[in-house]
Amino acid sequence: MPASPSQQSRRASARQRIENRRAAEAAARAAAERRRRTVIGGVVAGVVLVVALVVVIVVQMQRTATSDAAAVPADTAADGTVVEVGADDGAVPVDIWADFQCPACQRFHQVNGETLEQLADEGTLQLRYHPIAILDRYSTDAYSTRSLNAAGVVVDAAGPEAFAEFTDLLYANQPPEGGAGLSDDELIELAAQAGATGDEVEAGIRDLVFEDWTARITEEASRQGVTSTPTVLVDGEPLDLRQATPATITALVEAAAPE
Amino acid sequence: MGPWLATAARLLLGGVLVVAGALKIPDPAAAERAVRAYQLLPEGLVGPVAFGLPVLEIAVGLALFAGVFVRTAALGAAALMVVFLVGVVSAWARGLQIDCGCFGGGGEVAPGETAYPGEVVRDTALLLVALALARRPRSRLALGGPPAADVPPDPAHPTELTDAR
Repeated sequence: MPASPSQQSRRASARQRIENRRAAEAAARAAAERRRRTVIGGVVAGVVLVVALVVVIVVQMQRTATSDAAAVPADTAADGTVVEVGADDGAVPVDIWADFQCPACQRFHQVNGETLEQLADEGTLQLRYHPIAILDRYSTDAYSTRSLNAAGVVVDAAGPEAFAEFTDLLYANQPPEGGAGLSDDELIELAAQAGATGDEVEAGIRDLVFEDWTARITEEASRQGVTSTPTVLVDGEPLDLRQATPATITALVEAAAPE
Repeated sequence: MGPWLATAARLLLGGVLVVAGALKIPDPAAAERAVRAYQLLPEGLVGPVAFGLPVLEIAVGLALFAGVFVRTAALGAAALMVVFLVGVVSAWARGLQIDCGCFGGGGEVAPGETAYPGEVVRDTALLLVALALARRPRSRLALGGPPAADVPPDPAHPTELTDAR
Protein backbone atom coordinates (compact mmCIF):
# COMPACT_ATOMS: atom_id res chain seq x y z
CA MET A 1 0.00 0.00 0.00
CA PRO A 2 1.53 3.33 -0.98
CA ALA A 3 2.39 5.64 1.89
CA SER A 4 0.39 8.77 2.29
CA PRO A 5 2.22 12.09 1.75
CA SER A 6 2.16 12.85 5.50
CA GLN A 7 3.70 9.44 6.31
CA GLN A 8 6.38 10.06 3.68
CA SER A 9 7.31 13.41 5.16
CA ARG A 10 7.48 11.94 8.70
CA ARG A 11 9.80 9.19 7.45
CA ALA A 12 11.94 11.72 5.65
CA SER A 13 12.38 13.86 8.72
CA ALA A 14 13.15 10.75 10.85
CA ARG A 15 15.81 9.76 8.31
CA GLN A 16 17.13 13.27 8.41
CA ARG A 17 17.43 13.18 12.22
CA ILE A 18 19.26 9.85 12.11
CA GLU A 19 21.66 11.16 9.48
CA ASN A 20 22.31 14.27 11.50
CA ARG A 21 23.05 12.22 14.58
CA ARG A 22 25.36 9.92 12.66
CA ALA A 23 27.17 12.88 11.16
CA ALA A 24 27.60 14.40 14.63
CA GLU A 25 28.93 11.10 15.99
CA ALA A 26 31.32 10.77 13.08
CA ALA A 27 32.53 14.33 13.64
CA ALA A 28 33.04 13.63 17.35
CA ARG A 29 34.98 10.45 16.54
CA ALA A 30 37.11 12.33 14.01
CA ALA A 31 37.80 15.07 16.54
CA ALA A 32 38.74 12.52 19.20
CA GLU A 33 41.01 10.80 16.68
CA ARG A 34 42.65 14.12 15.81
CA ARG A 35 43.21 14.89 19.48
CA ARG A 36 44.66 11.43 20.01
CA ARG A 37 47.05 11.90 17.08
CA THR A 38 48.01 15.36 18.29
CA VAL A 39 48.83 14.00 21.74
CA ILE A 40 50.85 11.11 20.31
CA GLY A 41 52.59 13.44 17.88
CA GLY A 42 53.36 15.86 20.69
CA VAL A 43 54.82 13.15 22.91
CA VAL A 44 56.93 11.77 20.05
CA ALA A 45 58.15 15.26 19.12
CA GLY A 46 59.00 15.98 22.76
CA VAL A 47 60.98 12.77 23.13
CA VAL A 48 62.82 13.38 19.85
CA LEU A 49 63.66 16.91 20.99
CA VAL A 50 65.05 15.76 24.34
CA VAL A 51 67.13 13.04 22.67
CA ALA A 52 68.43 15.55 20.10
CA LEU A 53 69.34 17.99 22.88
CA VAL A 54 71.28 15.38 24.83
CA VAL A 55 73.07 14.01 21.76
CA VAL A 56 74.06 17.43 20.45
CA ILE A 57 75.26 18.67 23.85
CA VAL A 58 77.38 15.55 24.37
CA VAL A 59 78.84 15.65 20.84
CA GLN A 60 79.65 19.37 21.04
CA MET A 61 81.29 18.92 24.44
CA GLN A 62 83.50 16.24 22.95
CA ARG A 63 84.32 18.49 20.01
CA THR A 64 85.41 21.33 22.31
CA ALA A 65 87.27 19.15 24.80
CA THR A 66 91.03 19.60 24.70
CA SER A 67 93.42 16.99 25.95
CA ASP A 68 95.15 17.76 29.23
CA ALA A 69 98.24 16.20 27.72
CA ALA A 70 98.19 18.60 24.76
CA ALA A 71 101.61 19.92 23.84
CA VAL A 72 102.45 23.42 25.09
CA PRO A 73 105.11 25.45 23.26
CA ALA A 74 108.32 26.00 25.20
CA ASP A 75 109.24 29.55 26.25
CA THR A 76 105.66 30.49 27.09
CA ALA A 77 104.39 31.69 30.46
CA ALA A 78 101.15 31.39 32.46
CA ASP A 79 100.40 27.82 31.42
CA GLY A 80 101.22 28.52 27.79
CA THR A 81 98.82 31.43 27.39
CA VAL A 82 101.40 34.22 27.30
CA VAL A 83 104.54 34.94 25.31
CA GLU A 84 106.62 37.48 27.24
CA VAL A 85 108.96 39.83 25.42
CA GLY A 86 111.29 41.87 27.60
CA ALA A 87 112.19 41.37 31.24
CA ASP A 88 109.53 41.81 33.92
CA ASP A 89 112.12 43.36 36.17
CA GLY A 90 110.13 46.37 37.42
CA ALA A 91 108.79 46.87 33.90
CA VAL A 92 105.19 47.92 33.25
CA PRO A 93 103.18 44.95 31.90
CA VAL A 94 101.41 45.56 28.60
CA ASP A 95 99.04 42.71 27.73
CA ILE A 96 97.81 42.29 24.16
CA TRP A 97 95.13 39.81 23.07
CA ALA A 98 95.14 39.60 19.30
CA ASP A 99 94.27 37.37 16.36
CA PHE A 100 96.62 37.28 13.37
CA GLN A 101 93.56 37.44 11.06
CA CYS A 102 92.14 40.55 12.74
CA PRO A 103 92.48 43.80 10.73
CA ALA A 104 92.13 46.02 13.83
CA CYS A 105 95.01 44.08 15.42
CA GLN A 106 97.09 44.65 12.31
CA ARG A 107 96.35 48.39 12.45
CA PHE A 108 97.18 48.55 16.16
CA HIS A 109 100.43 46.69 15.56
CA GLN A 110 101.45 48.82 12.59
CA VAL A 111 100.79 52.06 14.47
CA ASN A 112 102.14 51.09 17.88
CA GLY A 113 104.17 47.91 17.51
CA GLU A 114 107.52 49.55 16.96
CA THR A 115 107.13 51.86 19.97
CA LEU A 116 106.07 48.96 22.18
CA GLU A 117 109.02 46.82 21.11
CA GLN A 118 111.43 49.68 21.64
CA LEU A 119 110.10 50.33 25.16
CA ALA A 120 110.35 46.61 25.83
CA ASP A 121 113.97 46.63 24.66
CA GLU A 122 114.72 49.52 27.01
CA GLY A 123 113.18 47.57 29.87
CA THR A 124 110.45 50.15 30.47
CA LEU A 125 107.66 47.70 29.70
CA GLN A 126 107.18 44.00 29.26
CA LEU A 127 105.12 42.91 26.29
CA ARG A 128 102.79 40.06 27.16
CA TYR A 129 101.34 38.60 23.97
CA HIS A 130 98.14 36.56 24.38
CA PRO A 131 97.63 35.29 20.84
CA ILE A 132 94.18 33.79 20.21
CA ALA A 133 92.27 32.28 17.29
CA ILE A 134 88.69 33.52 17.07
CA LEU A 135 88.31 34.37 13.40
CA ASP A 136 88.50 31.00 11.66
CA ARG A 137 85.17 31.62 9.96
CA TYR A 138 86.61 34.65 8.17
CA SER A 139 88.93 32.52 6.06
CA THR A 140 88.34 29.47 3.96
CA ASP A 141 91.15 27.50 5.60
CA ALA A 142 90.91 28.28 9.34
CA TYR A 143 93.78 30.74 9.04
CA SER A 144 93.39 32.04 12.60
CA THR A 145 94.12 28.61 14.02
CA ARG A 146 96.83 27.77 11.48
CA SER A 147 98.70 31.04 11.97
CA LEU A 148 98.47 30.75 15.76
CA ASN A 149 99.74 27.18 15.61
CA ALA A 150 102.65 28.38 13.47
CA ALA A 151 103.40 31.11 16.02
CA GLY A 152 103.42 28.41 18.71
CA VAL A 153 105.89 26.41 16.64
CA VAL A 154 108.11 29.50 16.24
CA VAL A 155 108.22 30.37 19.95
CA ASP A 156 108.78 26.71 20.77
CA ALA A 157 111.72 26.45 18.38
CA ALA A 158 113.30 29.89 18.55
CA GLY A 159 111.97 31.80 21.58
CA PRO A 160 109.98 34.97 22.32
CA GLU A 161 112.12 37.34 20.20
CA ALA A 162 111.49 35.17 17.15
CA PHE A 163 107.80 35.10 18.09
CA ALA A 164 107.74 38.92 18.07
CA GLU A 165 109.50 38.96 14.71
CA PHE A 166 107.04 36.37 13.35
CA THR A 167 104.15 38.53 14.62
CA ASP A 168 105.55 41.46 12.62
CA LEU A 169 105.76 39.32 9.51
CA LEU A 170 102.26 37.85 9.91
CA TYR A 171 100.70 41.30 10.18
CA ALA A 172 102.76 42.60 7.25
CA ASN A 173 101.42 39.68 5.19
CA GLN A 174 97.92 39.50 6.66
CA PRO A 175 95.47 37.95 4.18
CA PRO A 176 92.19 39.79 3.65
CA GLU A 177 89.14 38.34 5.40
CA GLY A 178 86.93 36.04 3.39
CA GLY A 179 89.52 34.19 1.32
CA ALA A 180 92.31 31.71 1.87
CA GLY A 181 94.99 32.51 4.42
CA LEU A 182 98.70 32.13 3.90
CA SER A 183 99.59 28.60 2.85
CA ASP A 184 101.64 26.28 5.04
CA ASP A 185 104.60 26.88 2.71
CA GLU A 186 104.27 30.63 3.17
CA LEU A 187 104.03 30.25 6.96
CA ILE A 188 107.16 28.06 6.93
CA GLU A 189 108.93 30.71 4.84
CA LEU A 190 107.97 33.48 7.30
CA ALA A 191 108.96 31.29 10.25
CA ALA A 192 112.39 30.88 8.66
CA GLN A 193 112.68 34.67 8.25
CA ALA A 194 111.86 35.00 11.94
CA GLY A 195 114.61 32.54 12.79
CA ALA A 196 112.76 29.25 13.19
CA THR A 197 113.93 26.62 10.73
CA GLY A 198 114.30 22.89 10.46
CA ASP A 199 112.26 19.77 9.79
CA GLU A 200 110.55 19.98 13.14
CA VAL A 201 109.31 23.52 12.43
CA GLU A 202 108.00 22.47 9.02
CA ALA A 203 106.26 19.39 10.40
CA GLY A 204 104.85 21.39 13.32
CA ILE A 205 103.29 23.94 10.99
CA ARG A 206 101.93 21.39 8.52
CA ASP A 207 100.60 18.96 11.15
CA LEU A 208 99.13 21.61 13.49
CA VAL A 209 100.99 20.11 16.45
CA PHE A 210 99.78 22.88 18.75
CA GLU A 211 96.15 22.88 17.57
CA ASP A 212 94.80 21.86 20.98
CA TRP A 213 96.92 24.58 22.53
CA THR A 214 95.37 27.18 20.22
CA ALA A 215 91.88 26.05 21.30
CA ARG A 216 92.81 26.06 24.98
CA ILE A 217 94.41 29.51 25.11
CA THR A 218 91.53 30.97 23.07
CA GLU A 219 89.08 29.50 25.56
CA GLU A 220 91.19 30.86 28.41
CA ALA A 221 91.01 34.39 26.95
CA SER A 222 87.23 34.05 26.68
CA ARG A 223 87.04 33.04 30.33
CA GLN A 224 89.06 36.13 31.19
CA GLY A 225 86.40 38.25 29.50
CA VAL A 226 88.14 39.11 26.24
CA THR A 227 85.39 39.77 23.68
CA SER A 228 87.13 41.89 21.10
CA THR A 229 90.51 42.02 19.47
CA PRO A 230 92.79 43.67 20.03
CA THR A 231 92.29 43.97 23.77
CA VAL A 232 95.18 45.85 25.34
CA LEU A 233 95.90 46.37 29.05
CA VAL A 234 98.56 48.82 30.16
CA ASP A 235 99.54 47.99 33.72
CA GLY A 236 96.25 46.07 33.99
CA GLU A 237 94.10 48.97 32.79
CA PRO A 238 92.17 48.65 29.50
CA LEU A 239 93.56 50.88 26.78
CA ASP A 240 91.04 52.95 24.83
CA LEU A 241 91.96 51.90 21.30
CA ARG A 242 90.47 55.01 19.71
CA GLN A 243 93.15 57.03 21.44
CA ALA A 244 95.98 54.54 21.12
CA THR A 245 98.97 56.26 19.58
CA PRO A 246 102.67 55.83 20.30
CA ALA A 247 102.55 59.10 22.27
CA THR A 248 99.55 58.19 24.47
CA ILE A 249 100.87 54.69 25.11
CA THR A 250 104.31 56.02 26.01
CA ALA A 251 102.73 58.53 28.39
CA LEU A 252 100.59 55.82 30.03
CA VAL A 253 103.56 53.51 30.44
CA GLU A 254 105.73 56.27 31.89
CA ALA A 255 102.94 57.25 34.28
CA ALA A 256 102.68 53.63 35.43
CA ALA A 257 106.43 53.05 35.69
CA PRO A 258 107.96 53.20 39.16
CA GLU A 259 110.25 56.21 39.56
CA MET B 1 45.87 37.50 10.68
CA GLY B 2 44.66 35.84 7.50
CA PRO B 3 45.78 32.31 6.73
CA TRP B 4 48.22 33.39 4.04
CA LEU B 5 49.70 36.07 6.28
CA ALA B 6 50.10 33.41 8.96
CA THR B 7 51.91 31.24 6.43
CA ALA B 8 54.27 34.11 5.65
CA ALA B 9 54.86 34.63 9.40
CA ARG B 10 55.57 30.91 9.86
CA LEU B 11 58.08 30.83 7.02
CA LEU B 12 59.82 34.05 8.12
CA LEU B 13 60.10 33.09 11.77
CA GLY B 14 60.90 29.44 11.02
CA GLY B 15 63.47 30.37 8.41
CA VAL B 16 65.28 32.83 10.69
CA LEU B 17 65.36 30.34 13.57
CA VAL B 18 66.59 27.41 11.48
CA VAL B 19 69.35 29.51 9.91
CA ALA B 20 70.36 31.08 13.24
CA GLY B 21 70.48 27.67 14.93
CA ALA B 22 72.31 25.91 12.11
CA LEU B 23 75.03 28.57 11.99
CA LYS B 24 75.88 27.91 15.64
CA ILE B 25 76.48 24.18 15.19
CA PRO B 26 79.73 24.00 13.16
CA ASP B 27 81.94 25.90 15.66
CA PRO B 28 80.96 24.89 19.20
CA ALA B 29 83.94 26.69 20.75
CA ALA B 30 82.71 29.97 19.24
CA ALA B 31 79.19 29.25 20.50
CA GLU B 32 80.56 28.85 24.02
CA ARG B 33 82.50 32.10 23.76
CA ALA B 34 79.38 33.91 22.53
CA VAL B 35 77.33 32.71 25.51
CA ARG B 36 80.16 33.42 27.95
CA ALA B 37 80.54 36.94 26.58
CA TYR B 38 77.15 37.92 28.04
CA GLN B 39 78.59 37.23 31.52
CA LEU B 40 75.20 36.06 32.74
CA LEU B 41 75.69 32.33 33.33
CA PRO B 42 77.95 30.38 35.66
CA GLU B 43 80.73 28.58 33.78
CA GLY B 44 79.08 25.18 34.26
CA LEU B 45 76.00 26.25 32.30
CA VAL B 46 77.83 27.96 29.44
CA GLY B 47 78.41 24.74 27.48
CA PRO B 48 74.92 23.22 27.81
CA VAL B 49 73.26 26.52 26.92
CA ALA B 50 75.63 27.21 24.03
CA PHE B 51 75.06 23.73 22.58
CA GLY B 52 71.38 23.33 23.52
CA LEU B 53 69.97 26.67 22.34
CA PRO B 54 70.70 26.01 18.65
CA VAL B 55 68.83 22.69 18.92
CA LEU B 56 65.78 24.46 20.36
CA GLU B 57 65.99 27.13 17.66
CA ILE B 58 66.15 24.53 14.90
CA ALA B 59 63.34 22.43 16.43
CA VAL B 60 61.00 25.41 16.81
CA GLY B 61 61.98 26.68 13.37
CA LEU B 62 61.32 23.32 11.69
CA ALA B 63 57.92 23.01 13.39
CA LEU B 64 56.96 26.48 12.15
CA PHE B 65 58.29 25.76 8.70
CA ALA B 66 56.36 22.51 8.42
CA GLY B 67 53.28 23.92 10.08
CA VAL B 68 52.96 21.38 12.88
CA PHE B 69 52.22 22.38 16.49
CA VAL B 70 52.19 25.93 15.20
CA ARG B 71 50.77 27.57 18.32
CA THR B 72 53.20 25.77 20.64
CA ALA B 73 56.11 26.49 18.32
CA ALA B 74 55.11 30.15 18.03
CA LEU B 75 55.02 30.42 21.83
CA GLY B 76 58.42 28.70 21.93
CA ALA B 77 59.78 31.17 19.38
CA ALA B 78 58.38 34.04 21.45
CA ALA B 79 60.07 32.63 24.56
CA LEU B 80 63.39 32.36 22.69
CA MET B 81 63.08 35.96 21.52
CA VAL B 82 62.39 37.12 25.08
CA VAL B 83 65.52 35.27 26.26
CA PHE B 84 67.60 36.85 23.47
CA LEU B 85 66.19 40.31 24.18
CA VAL B 86 66.95 40.01 27.88
CA GLY B 87 70.53 39.00 27.01
CA VAL B 88 71.11 41.75 24.46
CA VAL B 89 69.46 44.53 26.49
CA SER B 90 71.35 43.55 29.62
CA ALA B 91 74.65 43.46 27.73
CA TRP B 92 73.85 46.88 26.30
CA ALA B 93 72.87 48.25 29.70
CA ARG B 94 76.06 46.92 31.27
CA GLY B 95 78.13 48.51 28.52
CA LEU B 96 79.61 45.22 27.35
CA GLN B 97 81.38 45.36 24.01
CA ILE B 98 79.99 42.23 22.39
CA ASP B 99 78.24 40.96 19.32
CA CYS B 100 75.00 39.13 20.08
CA GLY B 101 76.27 35.96 18.42
CA CYS B 102 72.77 35.58 17.05
CA PHE B 103 73.89 34.04 13.79
CA GLY B 104 77.00 32.20 14.90
CA GLY B 105 80.37 33.67 15.77
CA GLY B 106 81.98 33.97 19.14
CA GLY B 107 80.37 37.19 20.34
CA GLU B 108 83.52 39.18 19.55
CA VAL B 109 83.25 42.60 17.95
CA ALA B 110 85.80 44.96 16.55
CA PRO B 111 86.33 47.79 19.04
CA GLY B 112 83.43 50.26 19.08
CA GLU B 113 81.34 48.25 16.63
CA THR B 114 78.47 46.96 18.73
CA ALA B 115 75.06 46.83 17.03
CA TYR B 116 72.65 46.68 19.95
CA PRO B 117 69.87 48.91 18.54
CA GLY B 118 69.54 46.85 15.37
CA GLU B 119 69.63 43.58 17.32
CA VAL B 120 66.90 44.79 19.70
CA VAL B 121 64.68 46.02 16.84
CA ARG B 122 65.07 42.74 14.97
CA ASP B 123 64.34 40.53 17.96
CA THR B 124 61.37 42.69 19.00
CA ALA B 125 59.89 42.50 15.51
CA LEU B 126 60.30 38.72 15.50
CA LEU B 127 58.76 38.53 18.97
CA LEU B 128 55.68 40.40 17.73
CA VAL B 129 55.41 38.10 14.72
CA ALA B 130 55.63 35.07 17.03
CA LEU B 131 52.95 36.41 19.36
CA ALA B 132 50.61 37.22 16.47
CA LEU B 133 51.13 33.71 15.13
CA ALA B 134 50.44 32.18 18.53
CA ARG B 135 47.17 34.11 18.63
CA ARG B 136 46.09 33.06 15.13
CA PRO B 137 48.04 29.92 14.20
CA ARG B 138 45.71 28.89 11.38
CA SER B 139 47.58 29.06 8.08
CA ARG B 140 47.86 27.64 4.58
CA LEU B 141 50.39 25.08 3.42
CA ALA B 142 50.68 23.54 6.87
CA LEU B 143 51.18 19.84 7.48
CA GLY B 144 49.28 19.88 10.76
CA GLY B 145 46.41 22.01 11.91
CA PRO B 146 45.62 23.77 15.14
CA PRO B 147 43.36 21.70 17.42
CA ALA B 148 39.86 21.69 16.05
CA ALA B 149 38.43 23.06 19.29
CA ASP B 150 40.48 26.25 18.93
CA VAL B 151 39.49 27.08 15.39
CA PRO B 152 35.93 26.78 14.14
CA PRO B 153 35.62 25.44 10.60
CA ASP B 154 36.02 28.19 8.07
CA PRO B 155 33.20 27.82 5.53
CA ALA B 156 34.96 30.13 3.11
CA HIS B 157 37.84 27.69 2.70
CA PRO B 158 36.37 24.20 2.97
CA THR B 159 39.25 22.51 1.15
CA GLU B 160 42.01 24.06 3.14
CA LEU B 161 45.04 21.86 3.63
CA THR B 162 44.89 22.22 7.40
CA ASP B 163 41.57 20.47 7.40
CA ALA B 164 42.66 17.67 5.10
CA ARG B 165 42.47 15.09 7.85
